[in-house]
Amino acid sequence: MKLNKLAKLAAVVAFSAVALAACGSKSSSTASKQVLNWNENSELPTMDLSKATDVVSFDMLNNSMEGIYRLGKDSKIEPGLATKTQVSNDGMKYVFTLRKNAKWSNGDKVTAKDFVYSWQRTVNPKTASQYAYLFSGIKNADAIMAGKKAVSTLGIKADGNYKLTVTLEKKLPYFKLLMGFPVFFPQNQKAVKQYGSKYGTASKYMVYDGPFKMTKWTGSNLSWTLKKNNDYWDKKNVKLSAINFKVNKSNTTAYNLYQSGKLDETNLGAEQAKQLKGSKDYVVRRGATTFYLEFNQTKKEFQNQKIRQAISMVINRKQFVNKVLGDGSTVAKGYVSTGLAKHNGVDFATAAYVKSGTESNIAEAKKLWAEGLKELGVKNLSFSILSDDTDAGNNTTQFLQSAIEENLKGAKVSVENVPFKTRLSRSENGQFDVVVSGWGADFSDPISFLDLFTSDNSYNNGKWKNTEYDKLIQASKTTDAGNANKRWNDLVKAEKILMKDQGIAPIYQQANATLVKSKVKGVIYNPAGVNYNFKDAYIAK
Amino acid sequence: MRKYLIKRVFYMILTLFLVATITFFLMKLMPGTPYSNQQKMTPQQIHIMNEQYGLNKPVWQQYLIYILGMLHGDLGTSFQFSNQPVSYLIASRIGPSAQLGAQAMIFGVFFGIIIGSIAAINRNTWVDTTATIVSIIGKSVPNFVLAVLLQYYIALKLGWFPIADWGNFSYTVLPTIALGVGPLAETARFVRTGMVDVLNSDYIELARAKGMSKFGIVYHHALRNSLIPLVTLIGPYTVALMTGSMVIENIFSIPGIGEQFVKSILVNDYPTIMGVTMLFSAGLVAVILLTDIVYGIIDPRIRLSGNGD
Repeated sequence: MKLNKLAKLAAVVAFSAVALAACGSKSSSTASKQVLNWNENSELPTMDLSKATDVVSFDMLNNSMEGIYRLGKDSKIEPGLATKTQVSNDGMKYVFTLRKNAKWSNGDKVTAKDFVYSWQRTVNPKTASQYAYLFSGIKNADAIMAGKKAVSTLGIKADGNYKLTVTLEKKLPYFKLLMGFPVFFPQNQKAVKQYGSKYGTASKYMVYDGPFKMTKWTGSNLSWTLKKNNDYWDKKNVKLSAINFKVNKSNTTAYNLYQSGKLDETNLGAEQAKQLKGSKDYVVRRGATTFYLEFNQTKKEFQNQKIRQAISMVINRKQFVNKVLGDGSTVAKGYVSTGLAKHNGVDFATAAYVKSGTESNIAEAKKLWAEGLKELGVKNLSFSILSDDTDAGNNTTQFLQSAIEENLKGAKVSVENVPFKTRLSRSENGQFDVVVSGWGADFSDPISFLDLFTSDNSYNNGKWKNTEYDKLIQASKTTDAGNANKRWNDLVKAEKILMKDQGIAPIYQQANATLVKSKVKGVIYNPAGVNYNFKDAYIAK
Repeated sequence: MRKYLIKRVFYMILTLFLVATITFFLMKLMPGTPYSNQQKMTPQQIHIMNEQYGLNKPVWQQYLIYILGMLHGDLGTSFQFSNQPVSYLIASRIGPSAQLGAQAMIFGVFFGIIIGSIAAINRNTWVDTTATIVSIIGKSVPNFVLAVLLQYYIALKLGWFPIADWGNFSYTVLPTIALGVGPLAETARFVRTGMVDVLNSDYIELARAKGMSKFGIVYHHALRNSLIPLVTLIGPYTVALMTGSMVIENIFSIPGIGEQFVKSILVNDYPTIMGVTMLFSAGLVAVILLTDIVYGIIDPRIRLSGNGD
C-alpha cells in the first residue's frame, strides 16, 4: 500500500517536472524568436579593424561596423554610410557624400574625419597593420607604409563633416569593392585615444556604427553576442534582436549542440559532411580559395611544360574532392575560383576555362611524360611534394604520390608534410620541387588571384614567367582599367595563358560544409573578403 | 630545514632561467614570422613589421629585452590576440584549466585509492581482477574517446549534464570524469602494488596478531606506507592536468590554457609561447619542491635536513 502511494507520488512529480520543463522551453522559444545562435570554430582575436587578420574578426567587424558600402548578395555593393558617389572621368578621384544620421555607439556622429583618421591609422607603419597593403594604389599609401612620407599625405580628405574625397595614384577598378572591406571602415578617434592599448581588445573597449553592437566579449572568452544597434541608421531593416556566438572547436561538439537545439548553425568536419550530405539543413559555403600545385621553375625538370602537364593530368580531381576530402570542396575549374566574379552574367572561371589545365587524362599524361623525359634526356625523375601537415595536407600529398607513381613511369615521389609556417617559409625561399599552395581572394575580383603570377610578384614562388601574361595584367591595370569589357578580356586571356602553359596545376576550390536550421533566412555569405553579413537575416516563423 | 629550502629555491630560479633561455633560442629557430597574414605580405612589408616589433634585432638582444621585461613582470603582448597582454591571456584562461585539473586529480586519486585498496585487500579474487581490468581500460582508452562518449550518451541522449561550455559546477562534471580516469587508473595500480607489498610485511602480521580490525590495519598502517610512491606521481601529474588539456578543453569548449599553448607554437606567437612555458615550468619546479617536503611529512624516514644534506 505504502509502496503504491510512493509510486503514485513519483509519477505525479515526474509528470509535473516534464510539464514544467515543456512550459519552460516553450516560453523561452517565444522570447528568443529573433535570436540566432551561431557557431564559430575559433576565437575572436581582435576588434581593432587596423589589426584584424582573420575571418572571425572580419565577420564581427562587418556586422558591428559600417563603411562607405556594405557587400550584399554576390558581393553586390549596397548603401552603407555613403548616400552619393561621384567618380572622376579618369577614375582617379572618388567623392563620397555621407549620410548625416549615422552615429557611433558613444553618441558621436560618424563623419568624414573618422574615415581620414582610420585610414591614416592603418597605413601608419607604427600601427603594424597586416592588411595595410590593400591601400596600395591610394595616393602615397605605399610611400607612407615604407616610412618615406608622412601619414597626412595619404590621398584621403574630409571636406566638412559629410564629404569625403579619395585620390588614387593608379586606377583601382575594384576600388568600390574594397570599400566594403572592414579595413576601410571608419574609426572613432576619441574611442581609440580613450581606450589606448586596450582599444578593440574587448567588447567594452570599442565603439560601433553598424547594424549590431557587440557585448560579452572579454578578449579571450569563447562566447559573445551581437545585439541589435538601436542607433543604427537603418535599424528598421535589422530584424534579429541578437546573435549569440559560441566557439566550439570540435565539430562533434558543435554538431551535438546543433542537434540539441542550442545552435542554429554548425560547421561539419569531412566525415560528418560525407554522412550528412543528404540532410535538408546541409549548406555548402564555397570559399574563394584555390589549392594548386606550384612547380619550382628554377629547376630544369619543371621548366619543361610537358612534365608539368603530365603531373596535372594524372590527378583525378573529382575522385579526390569527393572521396578523399569530402568536406564540400569542389574541383577547381582553373586558378580563379568559381563564383568569385561575373561579367555579363558569365562566371570568370567558366569564361577562362581551359580543359587541359585541370582535366584528368591518363593516356595523354603518359605520352607527355615520356616526351618530357626524353627532352630532358633522363629516364627517371625523383622529386618531392611539399604540403601542410593538416589532414587535408596529408591526404593531398598521399593522393598525389600514388596517382603520379602509379601512372608515370620512372617517377619517384617523396612527400613532405610540414607545419603551415614552415611551408610558407620554404615556399618563399624556393626550397621545394612541387608545393601544394593555397590562395584566397581578398575581394571579389579576378585580379586578387591573377596578380600573383606576374614575373616580378614576390608571392610567385615557383617563378613561372610569361611576358604575354605580364603584359595583359599590366594592361588590365593601366590602359584597359577604365573599360570593363577590355579589362575582363585581358584577365580572361591571362588566366588562359597560365592554364595552357600549366604554370600551376589547380586542384580544388575549398569549401566548408555546414548545417543551418531551415528557419534561418536571409544570411548573406560571400566567398571573398568578409564572409558573413547578418544585417538582413531573420528567423522565419 | 631553512638552509635546505633556500638552496632549493635558488636551484628553482636557476632552472627557470635555463628553461627561459633554452626555450627562447629554440623558439627563434622556428621558421616563419608571427604574422598571421604572412602569406600575403611582401618581404618589404614583413621587414617593416619586424622593425615595429623589434624582431629585426639580433636574437641575443631580443633575448635580453625579453628577460629584462620578464623580471619586471612584463610578458609582452600576444601576436594572435592583437594588443592583448600575455599576462592577461594567461590569467583569464588558467582558471578553468586549473579548476578542471584539480577536480580531475581529486576525483582520480580519491577513487583510485579506494579501488586500489579494495583490489589489494581482495588480492587474487574476482574483485581484484575487475579492478585491474578497470585500471587497464582507464589507462589505455584515450581520454578524448571517453569524453566524446560521455558527451554523446550522458549529455546529449540523457540530458543529465550540459553538452559543452563553461559555467556552474554541472558543466565541469563530464570533463572532470574524462580527464580524471587516467589518474584514477594510474593511482589504483600504484596503490594496489604498494599495498600488496605492505600487507605482506611483518608489522601488519603483528597488527593482525594484536587483533586490530581489517579496516584499522588498512587505514592506519597499510595505506600510509603505500601512498609514498604515489606522491612522486601525483605532483607532476597535477601540474600537467592543471596547465590544461587541449583535447578535453576543445571537446567541452572550455576556455582554458591548453590550446593556447599548442596554438601559440604553431603560429609563432613568441610572447605567448614563452609565457605559457614559464608558467608550466614554474608550476613543475614548485610542485617538485612541494613533493619533497610532503615526502618528509608522510615518511619520517626521509629527513630533509638529514646527513646527506
